Amino acid sequence: MSRKLRRASLREIGLAFGLAAALASPCFGGVAGDTWSRFDRFLATFDPAGHYLREPIEKRVPALVFKGFLRQWSDVLLTEDRQAGFRDKDFRFLQLQNLLESELHYFLTPNVEITNVNHLLYDGVYDWQSSRGLFAPRVSQSARAYQDFERIVRELYVSYRSYAFDLVLGKQQVAWGKMDGQFIDIVNPMDRRESVQLETSDYEYRRLPTWMANFTYFFGKNSIQLLYVPNFEQDRLAPPGSPWYPPSVPPSDSEVRDRLAGRLPPSGDIVLDRRKPEMGDFGDHEGGVRIDLSMEPVTWGLIYFSGWDDNPTHYIVDRRVENGLTRLVVEPRHKRLHHLGMTGDYATSFSAVPVIGTLPTVLRVEALYTRDVPFADSARRDAAEQGALDDGVVERDTLRAAVALELALPANTTLLFQPSAYYTFGHRDTLGVGFGGAYLDEWNLVPVFYIARPVLFTSDRLRVSFTAYPILSGPRTDFQGVKTKLIAGYTFSQFIVGKLIYTAYGGGKNVDLYGQYDKWDNIGWELSYEF
Amino acid sequence: MSSDRLGASIVLCLAVAAALPLRASAGEAARLAKTWRTMDEVSAEEKKQLDSRAETPRDSRFPYLPAERYPFEPPFTAEEIGIRSADFIHVSRWSHAIYDAFGLLTGGGYLHEAAAVGLVNYVAEPGLAGELFQIAPGDVSTRMLMYYVFPPETDGAEDLYVVHRTDAERTKKIDYFTYAPSLRRVRRQPEPRRGERFPNAVQSFDDIIGRAPWEFAWRFVGADVLYETVRFPNTRATITLANAAREFREVPTGSLKMMGNDYPYYRPDGGVDCWVLEAKTRTDWLPGYPLTKILYWLDRHSFYPLRIEQYDQQGELQVVEVRLARQENPALGERGYAALITIYFDPKLDMTSYSVHDAHTVREWTDQDREVVFSPDFMRRGWLVQPLKSQALVRSPDQFYLRPMLDREKFPNERKVALTPEVQARVAAQEAAGHVVFETQQAASAAASP
Repeated sequence: MSRKLRRASLREIGLAFGLAAALASPCFGGVAGDTWSRFDRFLATFDPAGHYLREPIEKRVPALVFKGFLRQWSDVLLTEDRQAGFRDKDFRFLQLQNLLESELHYFLTPNVEITNVNHLLYDGVYDWQSSRGLFAPRVSQSARAYQDFERIVRELYVSYRSYAFDLVLGKQQVAWGKMDGQFIDIVNPMDRRESVQLETSDYEYRRLPTWMANFTYFFGKNSIQLLYVPNFEQDRLAPPGSPWYPPSVPPSDSEVRDRLAGRLPPSGDIVLDRRKPEMGDFGDHEGGVRIDLSMEPVTWGLIYFSGWDDNPTHYIVDRRVENGLTRLVVEPRHKRLHHLGMTGDYATSFSAVPVIGTLPTVLRVEALYTRDVPFADSARRDAAEQGALDDGVVERDTLRAAVALELALPANTTLLFQPSAYYTFGHRDTLGVGFGGAYLDEWNLVPVFYIARPVLFTSDRLRVSFTAYPILSGPRTDFQGVKTKLIAGYTFSQFIVGKLIYTAYGGGKNVDLYGQYDKWDNIGWELSYEF
Repeated sequence: MSSDRLGASIVLCLAVAAALPLRASAGEAARLAKTWRTMDEVSAEEKKQLDSRAETPRDSRFPYLPAERYPFEPPFTAEEIGIRSADFIHVSRWSHAIYDAFGLLTGGGYLHEAAAVGLVNYVAEPGLAGELFQIAPGDVSTRMLMYYVFPPETDGAEDLYVVHRTDAERTKKIDYFTYAPSLRRVRRQPEPRRGERFPNAVQSFDDIIGRAPWEFAWRFVGADVLYETVRFPNTRATITLANAAREFREVPTGSLKMMGNDYPYYRPDGGVDCWVLEAKTRTDWLPGYPLTKILYWLDRHSFYPLRIEQYDQQGELQVVEVRLARQENPALGERGYAALITIYFDPKLDMTSYSVHDAHTVREWTDQDREVVFSPDFMRRGWLVQPLKSQALVRSPDQFYLRPMLDREKFPNERKVALTPEVQARVAAQEAAGHVVFETQQAASAAASP
């Protein structure tokens, strides 16, 4: 980034956080303070959807619980670079998303409940700025707005509860695990349109619910959960022409645009239709089991899941020579994976710690081991291009694991240190990316550091947090960059909260996970009204 | 309006106007009289209930307890009264369910409220005796599940507190688990730091869970008569309360008494006789504790704390807690009192919190309940097994409870109350207006007016 741009970025960050500080200053004296006081008191009771929608509906239908939220997210790039890798980065807004959620629970009896969660999403990023680089709706309409049943009706299920067991049938999402990040949270696929900026707090809205039967049997403080998932869905990655499509991935945006418009003849691999696991085929269904055990002061659990890789791997199935050029025929296929995972946590308090006295502490661990994960192998691909009979894919076992240490420091300050490791067994440099393994290397280590605290002079309404995600790698690459995130969250009222978020990417090379996004520093805001 | 009706209205207004000063003067007289006395001023007859010894024989098993067995016989030492008062922590010492409506108001008028259905499984026999004699140090004394129903942001969130009896060696007070619907995960959390207030609240973890009386050195300070604890604004004539049968009733706020209607020991003028005790933090038990001492106003019969003042490391008043109690568990007699409304006021931050324990329902949990409901894994089921309802939220800043009386003239040698001029002006404006005054201009003019 040039010095001028860096100055401009700092100015914008300063302005944004200055605005946040101003918002967070209910301690003004005099006229300004009184004006703020009136505004505060107005907001305290400002709940129009609650008063005019939720309450009348619930009054009319006593067995119904109705709630929802309206949320607006916007992210603005802080750099003006026009070209970044293969991308035409001629846009400033990374998202202008508006999401309306309605959530309904209807109680047929005290034990039987029907739940329905709907989402209406519109991202103005494609319409409210002029950009040649943003053409994703031509690839996938859901990048701009949800338009079909699958996306709008997120969850629809009927549940039956008793002391001994829960049975939930229908379209639903299941989150396994206790950690920040995805380790054993593998049941549902994810909408990863935000790529490296997808955070744990977004999973609830980005996870893609699927049709399944979910049975949990409780015995004492322990439980066993069985999942049967006939409906497979794949991850939705950032499509070409979207703000977060990786800049390190060829071809260029202009080439993709020309191919979409038919101005360029097809070239490169001939990609067949994806072979998708079928709901009607019993052999294609997924299943899993989770056991949770409570043994004070430790709680722990084990999981096993047999499911499809959420992202297809391109298997070479043929080789054609056209006009003297060799083109490989590839078929995207999902491979069935077998996952074995564990999770556990333990709490203690250290006493007489210098300066801070007592130190309450929690330790969490989580790990997932996956067998025979497919990786594209460039050496095998080269061999296939030369005529060898090879599908271009090798299988390797992977392990991803994390240990989190969370400390409760004075002044309601939370500090979390979570080293997360990703490892590919039998790695070699020609391998691409595979589920659970390290990114373009044998191992990655991500020592996540997080600190957060409320600001006292705002009566805790302002909460500031800082997170750093550096990626260390080996043995081929040393450092794949760092993502840092500074968040100032402000509670306007018990119904309205806002956030200012500054995210920066630095270090690493232009093919590395974070390194490729080093021109994607951005500042964003979130405003959410819940009713 | 006809001239007859106009005339009648004028007469009625004059009559009310004439009556008001009389009624006010009776109340004022009681309040303005010196109600407090140091121990030197307490009569010998009254002192017969008290044992002034600071050192008493100790229990052989638990040397931090007196040899005399709880609940003790009169005359009582300060330590014994302190231990008796520990029967009445914020969360009653018996199994029950409540609808807990609570909230915070800043001096500027920012209101943040929440509500949760609380399910409490008191493991031992009801009362402090159960914990003292049936629970070994380090073992679980209480399991408490909170299911949040308001505001919408936290609707469906749950907390599980597994409370342990502590001593000098076994200091872990709780195991703490949370469930957030937005994460769909049950997570173990570090236990909150004792004595440190919760975010968005005045009260601390210890204010909610309670303090072990043996962590403090007890001393008699004096006697006092309380006439008011929790005070409603003149903008709120009634409060809607629910009972265990889930019936709502509109209650005039002026009719609520400090210890409920059934308390037999009110003075003729409505006051409650209290002993005032100091609990000084024992640094060998609580090193680095943010409070140096706590003053308790305990009713003289059940030793129920009606007013509690916490003093910080500088010895200045940090938090005032006042309670409005009532008999919620008649089977326990004088130990069955529980807080209906509690107000916490931080005079330095000018923040006031409240907590209403509405729809209090004494419960005897089944074995199945005890085993299944009060476990971390239960929370992810999102099952509210006791769906209580309440209308006790304040809803509007203008109807919030008044800051408690500071009574700065009482026990001046024991109490150091420091207020900023701005807070002084707001408090004075509140007292003049009869409701909380938020705007500084208005507060200044109200405080300046005679």
